[in-house]
Amino acid sequence: MSEWGWVAFAYAVTYGSLGVFAGSIAVRIRNTRRSIGETE
Amino acid sequence: MTTGFWHQVSAVVHRDLLRERRRGDVLWITIPFGAIALLLIPLAVGTDAILLRQIGPGMYWVIVMLFGVLVSVGKASNETLPQQDASALLGLDPAAGFVGRATSATLLLLIFEVVVGVVAVGLYDVSIIGIPWLIVTLIIVAIGLALLGTLTGSIVNSTSAGTALVPLLVAPLSVPLLLGATQSYEGLRLGHSILSWVLLMVAVVLIVAIIGVLTARPLQET
Amino acid sequence: MQAQTRNRQWPWVAIGLSLAVAFTLSMVSPADSVQGDLVRIMYVHVPAAWLAYLAFFVTFVGSVGYLTTKDLRWDRIAAASAEIGVYFTGLAIALGMIWAKPTWGVWWTWDARLTLTAIMFFVYLGYLALRRTTDDPVIRAGRSSVLGVLGALQIPLVHFSVVWWRTLHQPPSLVRPDGPAIQDPLMLTALIVGVLAFTIVYGSLMVKRIELIKLDDQKAAIEQSIERPVAGEAVTVPDLGASS
Repeated sequence: MSEWGWVAFAYAVTYGSLGVFAGSIAVRIRNTRRSIGETE
Repeated sequence: MTTGFWHQVSAVVHRDLLRERRRGDVLWITIPFGAIALLLIPLAVGTDAILLRQIGPGMYWVIVMLFGVLVSVGKASNETLPQQDASALLGLDPAAGFVGRATSATLLLLIFEVVVGVVAVGLYDVSIIGIPWLIVTLIIVAIGLALLGTLTGSIVNSTSAGTALVPLLVAPLSVPLLLGATQSYEGLRLGHSILSWVLLMVAVVLIVAIIGVLTARPLQET
Repeated sequence: MQAQTRNRQWPWVAIGLSLAVAFTLSMVSPADSVQGDLVRIMYVHVPAAWLAYLAFFVTFVGSVGYLTTKDLRWDRIAAASAEIGVYFTGLAIALGMIWAKPTWGVWWTWDARLTLTAIMFFVYLGYLALRRTTDDPVIRAGRSSVLGVLGALQIPLVHFSVVWWRTLHQPPSLVRPDGPAIQDPLMLTALIVGVLAFTIVYGSLMVKRIELIKLDDQKAAIEQSIERPVAGEAVTVPDLGASS
């Protein structure tokens, strides 16, 4: 793999995992709000 | 901390050792488990005598760390909820309970270390060097591991995970003890001073002991 | 409602903006004369590692705060920070490995700092596992705050032990994941902006994560207060015809 390939891999891991982590928090907040009957 | 405190401590130690004598958890379960682990390793990595002599001390200490923690979560030094309530009603100082349980776990761990150590010497042909320092190391590791196991045991006590969580919590925190013990042996073998390692292990013991005594009451109340 | 919604969403905007700036800078900065383009991995690896330490320090502060005040707000801070810290520790380790493979040819070396980071990861993974075992917020806070203090105070000792262990046997001369030698002002800027941007991300994630813990606690409280039908309620006393 080229140097840029490794860099792309590293940035994909960083931003991908960050997106999943932040997204999961956002989804859980929305679902919990709904389940306790609070509207957004 | 009056004489009443130490009286309570010795009562707890007496109770735990009596329970161990009746149940034999350490003697009949944990020690054979540690011994068979030492027997399994050569089957997996090879039975070359030189290799075994090389990895023997390290394997011994890994087994002590991983399996020794089971001693402190065993039934002997771990209270069930009704037992806790009874102790609290009888006016047992939670700190005395902690020190007592850690003491009995230390004594049981020492037995574990010695018996498993004999097995390790026999199977791996480990040479014993620097006996006074070795005894010091064995005692400090036993105290440190007992304190860590007892403290994390009371943290997870009566949670749904039960004692299954204790080894996960203790293993990373026991790294200074593992490195202290293995590097002391290396140091003795190479003729280096091992005082700094011994002091590091003593520091672990002191920190865990202080946290354990200070948090014994809040942990019992929740 | 509209104003409140906007108010709630600002952390996501902050995360997006700061990451966009950091990403741009790390791409336009020049390649390193020794490491080449691989130096760009440092602009995310170093901030992630810094946040791991910051997050666990905040967990320690939150744990001490709870133990001294018994205020659940401290426990929420400790819990949120531990979870984000475990995430960034894992990310830092993964990025370090991705950098190490093309640089040194191996994924992992037994460097003191790497070993320490891996041990920290497991300490706080245990902390999170402990939190999952109880639903009662007060019991959970009391127990996990003790572990938060114990874990944090043990870290310096783990640090000394692994550093001594490495220096005794293998002088850390060849393989050290030291940051790159900074030659270009733009490279330094990229690194500093990366650290700042990730710190903003940490702060924003904390706000949202604490919000989620509060909501979860509310939900648990509501669920406990709802009156459930008693078992056997549907069974009625048989009419034996005495009344007729």
